[in-house]
Amino acid sequence: MTVRVKLIGPLMYETGFSEKDVEVPAATTVEALLDLVSVPRQRPKIVTRNGRAVAPEEPLADGDKIAVSPIYSGG
Amino acid sequence: MYGWTGNILRINLTTGAVKKETYTEEFAQKWVGGRGFAIKILYDELAPGIDPLGPDNKFVVAVGPIAGIPAPNTGKTVVAAKSPLTGGYADGNLGTRITEHLRRCGYDVLIVEGRAAAPSYIVLEDDKVSILPAGEVWGQGTYVTHDWLYQKYGRAAGVLSIGQAGETMSAYAVVRSLEGRAGGRPGMGAVMGSKNLKAIVAKGTKPIPQADPQAMKALGAGDLKKVGDMDKKSGWSRQSTNGVLAWCNEVAALPVRNMRRSHHPDAWKVDGERLNNARVATYGCPNCTMRCGITIHDREGRESELDYENIGMLGPNLEIFDLDQVGSLNYMCDDFGFDTISAGGTLAFYADAIDRGHTTGDFKFGDAERAKELLRLAARREGVGDLIAQGSLRMARLYGHGSESYSMQAKGLEVAAYNCKFCPGMALAFGTAPIGGTHKEAWVITYELNQTRRESYGPEKAAKVIELQRIRGGLFEFLTACRFPWVELGWGLENYPIYFNKITGLDWTLDDFWRTSDRIYALIKLFWLREMPDITRRFDDPPGAWFDPANADTEGPIAGKILERDKYDSLLQHFYDMRQWDRRGIPTRTLIGTLGLEAEAAGAEKYGRLE
Repeated sequence: MTVRVKLIGPLMYETGFSEKDVEVPAATTVEALLDLVSVPRQRPKIVTRNGRAVAPEEPLADGDKIAVSPIYSGG
Repeated sequence: MYGWTGNILRINLTTGAVKKETYTEEFAQKWVGGRGFAIKILYDELAPGIDPLGPDNKFVVAVGPIAGIPAPNTGKTVVAAKSPLTGGYADGNLGTRITEHLRRCGYDVLIVEGRAAAPSYIVLEDDKVSILPAGEVWGQGTYVTHDWLYQKYGRAAGVLSIGQAGETMSAYAVVRSLEGRAGGRPGMGAVMGSKNLKAIVAKGTKPIPQADPQAMKALGAGDLKKVGDMDKKSGWSRQSTNGVLAWCNEVAALPVRNMRRSHHPDAWKVDGERLNNARVATYGCPNCTMRCGITIHDREGRESELDYENIGMLGPNLEIFDLDQVGSLNYMCDDFGFDTISAGGTLAFYADAIDRGHTTGDFKFGDAERAKELLRLAARREGVGDLIAQGSLRMARLYGHGSESYSMQAKGLEVAAYNCKFCPGMALAFGTAPIGGTHKEAWVITYELNQTRRESYGPEKAAKVIELQRIRGGLFEFLTACRFPWVELGWGLENYPIYFNKITGLDWTLDDFWRTSDRIYALIKLFWLREMPDITRRFDDPPGAWFDPANADTEGPIAGKILERDKYDSLLQHFYDMRQWDRRGIPTRTLIGTLGLEAEAAGAEKYGRLE
């Protein structure tokens, strides 16, 4: 299946891309996807699936959009 | 007394009288500085009901005990007065060299009273105070004004000035400093303008009194470097505050089309990545090693310094997705001296009202060139610009047809760039912010969306709003330091009592700061009570459109969702209970006793009821 990954803020400079489609096996979890695209597990971050907060162990579905952001705290 | 100069400079522009006054150690420890000094002085000295744009209003410039001393990030100054936009207490902070120079002239507070007979500016040079003619730059923008003053006093001088919007007393005219710094959203620039005061310049050479200056010098310099290193490691300032735009778009919290929509497929065109790519220069405040002022060339080729709030409100909220055009609108606001948030909110309201047939006009969402023309008209108070210069709430009251519900403001101040139609906690933060719809007091939205259930109206959100108000609207506003090292890089709050104690020689903890913060918030509410004796809890509501089911998104992550009024009311009650405020949102007698505000409360009771 195909999921879209969007990296927000400085994460894009660390991983080398800002947004791309990724092919993953069915039922891949959020955590496994982030490992695949080299987002460090220890980095504090907010992950959303189709705009809603998501747990690392949650399985993905075809067409999902996963956005990964640093934990912004205010402008 | 260390840390505080103990001095207030009072200048009356009607009479030309200049008076150096002292304040006591008790006053210093009770109100600390910045916002604390400002609310106490304005509460004591302004009679309720005075005209904010008349000579009886007072313009206060105030700093805190760590301000201007090298440490993270101590370049901030608070400007305060009664607001011509909201009619209540108002203030704002900005990064400026005034911070250090005011203190090096020997003062922590400047109070400007009365009204000059002709355009003037004030110059402090150590003990010398001059009131000089400003006719040569009256009618000029802030950039020309700053250059004019730099030629006379050098670029190292501290300068605050207003542009044409302040001169013509726009209700949301700000005070400006340095390249892109602005403060005092609810019309502090208009109060300067009402006094015929174009600018304030300070050049001081005196030492700032400190209990342990050698230890502080080493500590402050080392910590500034550490913060700079933390920023480099995290990469925060690559996109600075505008990194959050893409996140707001993902989670449906972006202001789009007067906040009718909460996300937009073109938002990427004005996001942090695009801003960083367009960067031509970077600016920051004094005593800062994480400079956030990303500057681009605008459509006219001028340098425009942008942050998220500017972009959110002048870009997506107007459905303008050309970054250079957003830059142009931002540059014009900075030069005229308009607040960018209220300018964006007010222009969006105007387009929305035309759309709905509640007024007539030729401005449409997405029309950047017409938006520029409207800003010019507003700065000159010509035609429809005269109304636009007064903010969305006054426009709505004139237009009628229920348009007040979509004037996106709280207490009359336009809400900042977070669309909270389905963010109850952040809506509470806007509703209860003591000066109106500012995001600066309690930026609770990432906590809310990441660590709680978004749809919850539970006490955990009220508790978090209060926690953040104590830190952001309290500690950082009375110490007058920037919150970014803490909020964006995780620089520990425990550092601030260390700085404070080294500078003052006292032995305070964070708990002492929280008590000061609660005292300040309580006194601001008493200021409002004197102005509005019939105040109700509805005064702490966010914009009405966030409760309107017809305004819910029709697609995306929050399709069909909207705030629920009954539940918001219960969240507000949690907030009041935790703050020990009554059902109207007024501090209770019990709290007043705890905070030592009996004398102030006795004054308030002449006007309004306490429970």
